[in-house]
Amino acid sequence: MDAAVPPMVRLQGVSKVYRRGSVEVPVLESVDLSIASGAFEAFMGPSGSGKSTLLNLISGLDRPTTGVVEVAGRDLAQLSDAELADWRSAHVGFIFQLYNLLPVLTAAENVELPLLLTPLSRAERRRHVAAALEVVGLSHRRSHRPSELSGGEQQRVAIARAIVTDPDLIIADEPTGDLDRKSAEQVLDLFEALHHGLRKTLVMVTHDPNAAEHAERIHHLEKGVLQ
Amino acid sequence: MNYARLAWRDLRRNPLRLSLTVVAGAVGVMAFIFLRTVVDIFYSGAAVAQVDRLIVRNKVALTQPLPLSYFPRIAALPGVTAITHQSWFGGTISESQRDFFASLAIDPASFLKVYSEYTLPPEQLSAFQADPCGALIGRKLAQRYGWKEGDRVTMKSQIYPGEWTFNIRGIYDGTRPGVDTTALVFGYRCLNERLPENWKDQVGLYSVRVDDPARSAQVAAAIDGMFANSPYATLTESERAFQLGFVAMSSAILTAVKLVSNVILAIILLVIGNTIAMGVRERTRDIATLRAMGFRPFHVVMFVLVESAAIGVAAGVLGMFAAPPLLKGFMRVVESQFGPMAETVTRPQTLALAALAAVGMSLLAAVGPAVRSLRLPVAEGLRKVT
Ligand SMILES: Nc1ncnc2c1ncn2[C@@H]1O[C@H](COP(=O)(O)OP(=O)(O)OP(=O)(O)O)[C@@H](O)[C@H]1O
Ligand SMILES: [Mg+2]
Repeated sequence: MDAAVPPMVRLQGVSKVYRRGSVEVPVLESVDLSIASGAFEAFMGPSGSGKSTLLNLISGLDRPTTGVVEVAGRDLAQLSDAELADWRSAHVGFIFQLYNLLPVLTAAENVELPLLLTPLSRAERRRHVAAALEVVGLSHRRSHRPSELSGGEQQRVAIARAIVTDPDLIIADEPTGDLDRKSAEQVLDLFEALHHGLRKTLVMVTHDPNAAEHAERIHHLEKGVLQ
Repeated sequence: MNYARLAWRDLRRNPLRLSLTVVAGAVGVMAFIFLRTVVDIFYSGAAVAQVDRLIVRNKVALTQPLPLSYFPRIAALPGVTAITHQSWFGGTISESQRDFFASLAIDPASFLKVYSEYTLPPEQLSAFQADPCGALIGRKLAQRYGWKEGDRVTMKSQIYPGEWTFNIRGIYDGTRPGVDTTALVFGYRCLNERLPENWKDQVGLYSVRVDDPARSAQVAAAIDGMFANSPYATLTESERAFQLGFVAMSSAILTAVKLVSNVILAIILLVIGNTIAMGVRERTRDIATLRAMGFRPFHVVMFVLVESAAIGVAAGVLGMFAAPPLLKGFMRVVESQFGPMAETVTRPQTLALAALAAVGMSLLAAVGPAVRSLRLPVAEGLRKVT
């Protein structure tokens, strides 16, 4: 790794403890991690091992109990909740297992959603949406509601939504968990395209070894400890 | 796409629930308007009361008479511009309670000088004044029985023995809405001539018009002072105070009605609040997704408030437009049972208050769900499967 280029993600001594009443539940224990800019890395591990928790910390959705989370050279602890929200909208694209599209909006409108937080004009927003839908190959489905799309198509719309703001970091929590083999392959091919073509940093959690194979590096998490 | 579009789409997510909520809210608004108007009707006598009119009555009780001889003495007082008298007749045209309407013996020469809110053609007035047993009837009363000029009405009185026949000489109208036109008035002479000696020359009330409303308290004091030591002491008060005295008799009912109207506001709050809360709960994951993308708590609260306010506005407008015709229909039914009532006009203030209350309640209803949605950390909202 080139020492001059800071890693996209750097975790140092990160732990997360949830409190259930008086009981403390340690979920992550002193995790050290570095993910280079432009990398495509996967996390695997049994259910409850803390994979989603780790992604939430990396993407600024949650804060660690101890330790430092740095993304793109920025210590997330320094940001207020509001600043963190702005930071996420500018730097992170999210992809979820259940797609999380708004059911009342069309595909194009769903993709446009994160752009409402930018100063882009209506026409510019439309152009970005068209480009993102083009990337995922769903231009012809732009006016369909999520309920009128297959699971694979919905996930591709979600990918378009994640990339429409041109984020540095794309976070995907079991993106193929709910898809059949063929749709899963399409999604993973898209990831590779984003990785190779657009030099995006991709961090993915998956249960599926086939999916993990697409990544450059696979991390294993076991009871909150990175192996 | 913009925020308004998003809110609109979200609102229509469940059209059935939305329309049921709007209709329920509108029914609440209508009920609110309805009850408030009923209260207004009670107060309407006081509301149309003239500020420059005083009512002089027997100090002992409203039912005790005053001597007719007070007429010139009061008329001569400074500040008094007109005076007339009236006596409750309590006439009925049949045994039926439904046929009851107000009937009064009045002084034909002076009545309209004091009660200028009544108007009728001059030739009818002259005919009325020329006929000792002439009568005037209000427009609503005339319409109710199909009576017209020249008809004769025979009545019995709850107070005076015998049968009394009056000749209808004219039909009066109100010069503005809210003026009661359900009564019959006839010449005092017709009554007085037939009474036994010890009942003669007595009247129920005097109505006095003053030149300057600001001085009406002074004039009232002068009248009462003049008769303070006589066997027929007087109590003089403004017409408004006099009418409110009547309202006070039913104040317990009015308080209850007002209370119920407020309960209805609470029900609107609960109905809309329930819908909003359900909507927010269903969208826990959507809201968490928006916030993950960088939308602020402010955005979420705005969405919830806008949605709720839209429901409130729809319910308010619907209720506001549906209430007056409904009220008219209701009053028609009531009148067919109990006889004509004073004009029911739903005051614009009542309509505005109801619509505003609906919007206010809807905004209030949104606060709880909005706050609850914000309390849930984003990461946890994403975890929730709905
Ligand atoms: N808000 C919370 N309060 C308490 N415990 C929590 C909370 N969120 C997560 N946990 C616990 O932390 C542990 C790790 O959760 P996490 O979602 O990170 O696991 P995961 O590896 O993503 O599992 P899966 O593969 O099932 O998605 C679990 O035991 C979970 O019950
Ligand atoms: Mg998980």
